[in-house]
Amino acid sequence: MPLRVRLTLWYGTALALVLIVFSVVLYVITARSLRDTVDESLEETATTAVRSLEARGFLPLIDDDELLSQFPELTRIDKFFQIFSPSGTITIRSPNIQQHEVPLSATALDAAFAGQSIFESAKYPKEPPLRLISVPIMYRGNLLYIVQVGTSMESVGETLQRFLVLLIVAIPIALAVSLAGGWFLAGRALRPVDKITLAAQRIAAGDLSQRLSMPAAHDEIGRLAATFNNMIGRLDTSFRQIRQFTSDASHELRTPLTVMKGETDLVLRRPRPLEDYQSVLESNLEEIDRMTRIVDELLFLSRADMGEIKMELLPIAMEALVEDVHRQAMVLAQDRTIEVVLGTVMPAVVQGDDLRLRELLLNLVENAMKYSHAGGKVEISLLNDGREARLSVTDHGIGIAPDDHKKIFHRFFRTDVARAHTKKGTGLGLAICAWIADLHKGRVEVKSDLGQGSTFTVILPIASPTA
Amino acid sequence: MRVLVLEDETKVGCFIKRALEEESYAVDLCEDGAKGLEMALATNYDLLVVDVMLPSMSGLDVLKNVRRERIHTPVLILSAQSQIDQRVKGLDAGADDYLTKPFAIDELLARVRALLRRGASESPGILQVDDLVLNPATRDVTRGGQRIELTLKEYALLEYLMRHTGRVLTRPMISEHVWNQDFDTFTNVIDVYVNYLRNKIDRGRTKKLIHTIRGSGYMLKVD
Repeated sequence: MPLRVRLTLWYGTALALVLIVFSVVLYVITARSLRDTVDESLEETATTAVRSLEARGFLPLIDDDELLSQFPELTRIDKFFQIFSPSGTITIRSPNIQQHEVPLSATALDAAFAGQSIFESAKYPKEPPLRLISVPIMYRGNLLYIVQVGTSMESVGETLQRFLVLLIVAIPIALAVSLAGGWFLAGRALRPVDKITLAAQRIAAGDLSQRLSMPAAHDEIGRLAATFNNMIGRLDTSFRQIRQFTSDASHELRTPLTVMKGETDLVLRRPRPLEDYQSVLESNLEEIDRMTRIVDELLFLSRADMGEIKMELLPIAMEALVEDVHRQAMVLAQDRTIEVVLGTVMPAVVQGDDLRLRELLLNLVENAMKYSHAGGKVEISLLNDGREARLSVTDHGIGIAPDDHKKIFHRFFRTDVARAHTKKGTGLGLAICAWIADLHKGRVEVKSDLGQGSTFTVILPIASPTA
Repeated sequence: MRVLVLEDETKVGCFIKRALEEESYAVDLCEDGAKGLEMALATNYDLLVVDVMLPSMSGLDVLKNVRRERIHTPVLILSAQSQIDQRVKGLDAGADDYLTKPFAIDELLARVRALLRRGASESPGILQVDDLVLNPATRDVTRGGQRIELTLKEYALLEYLMRHTGRVLTRPMISEHVWNQDFDTFTNVIDVYVNYLRNKIDRGRTKKLIHTIRGSGYMLKVD
């Protein structure tokens, strides 16, 4: 059931209940207050009658004319008057009740003997209901007479009936009007929700560049729209990143494929000397190595993204690690006429994964060697200021323009200069370095300019002695 | 037919150059966008083969600049990106064709032939002047139904002459379209090759097709 219908129904039901309870209460109070008015008037008349009888020494009146002159209020048509003897027989009664028998009830007689006034309602067939008051007149503890004043409840009944009809007609009308109003208001309140739904459907259909038009009011709907837009924005960004990444990855993999396909295709087009085939196979082998490296690094990064890279964090003496990597690098540097030297190396212990930290440092050193000119020098140093270990690799190679300092950590990004300098390199090494540093709660900083060489510094927190 | 290949991936550039050269095209190779643009503006190439990702200036920017200079040389874009929007971008920048890496050499050559055909005129694939017939797809040359064997350079020279039948072709024009940038213009190599061609095509026939225009160059025509 749509929210609008439900809201309207809930609202209608609640309103109907309130109206009904209110009407019942109102009806009961009105009925009671009307009866109370009648009772008061009866009591007043009865009191007057009793007082008149007292004034006459409690002698009952004999004839009607005298009665009427004694009790001018009895000439009013709406009340009648009866006086009963203690036996319950009628001694006298007002002329306007001559045609009817209204006997004294047993209850009234009992009350009279107890010396108490009593109100009663009585109903005779084909007559409007009556309201009666019976007042005993006592003299020295004996019951002399019982004075009864009565009146027809016809007008009260009619009033109540009209009131009831009014309520029965008015309640459904009020309810209907309110329901219509509620329906309209619910629709109005929910219209922005419908709009958001439509927009969300369009966006879900694939166009993540779309945004909801923001309602001017900063209400619940406005906040919903803002939250929604925020979410779409983040989805959009991450989708775009994934798309960019996929496109970059496929580009990087296509290049070696293009080389392999093209060279093989070309060499097979006609018979050629053996050396031609040999050189194509050698070239293909290089490309296969390149693809293998890209796939390995991609795998590492995607596992890192999925949080699948588990690291064993142990206290590691960084100075020993630096010396190890330096030895390794010197071997690699032999056939490249590049010198790898150690600068200041201070002892430093960090919480880390030995294998990953080695990989990180070796990556940086290899980069430094890759982008150095022939005969260049690469320096590794390790500083410790008590809080942080600063592991630096400095080269005097091609350098990086300041604009590119951030981008070089992006996956597959390689500067034009780097691309022109060497075809080796996948554009993933620094992304991996940044990841490893990040997993150690550290970071990689770069200081460089074009043609000025570069210094990459890995900053890692020093393991606290207590840890 | 002279072709400029702009490709920064050295190995890819090399095998494209070699494949084209084996089809008798004169090929210049350049790995840098801005330098490539200079070359494209300086020399009257018959075809440009341009990779999209180039250092210093993207292939698409090179292409836009070339078109801005009102140079209508056919351009074949090479790209590792196969998405439709990338192709559309390339074609909208003024490219005549788009080839996705990796590609088959045969397809590259077929597209190159198609583009060169379009550049010359609405002529069909086969070039014919009188009874001299040249088929660029098979590189078969016949005269009067008789097969004529030509070397790569002779073929390239003949194809250029036949594509411009009835026009005077100066030595610089010939060197620009038939030889690549490594060619030394101040030699008489062109005259030597024209003589080779004459020997194979006109020798012993009453109707001569290759004519020397004194002081300017050569022309292929039916008298």
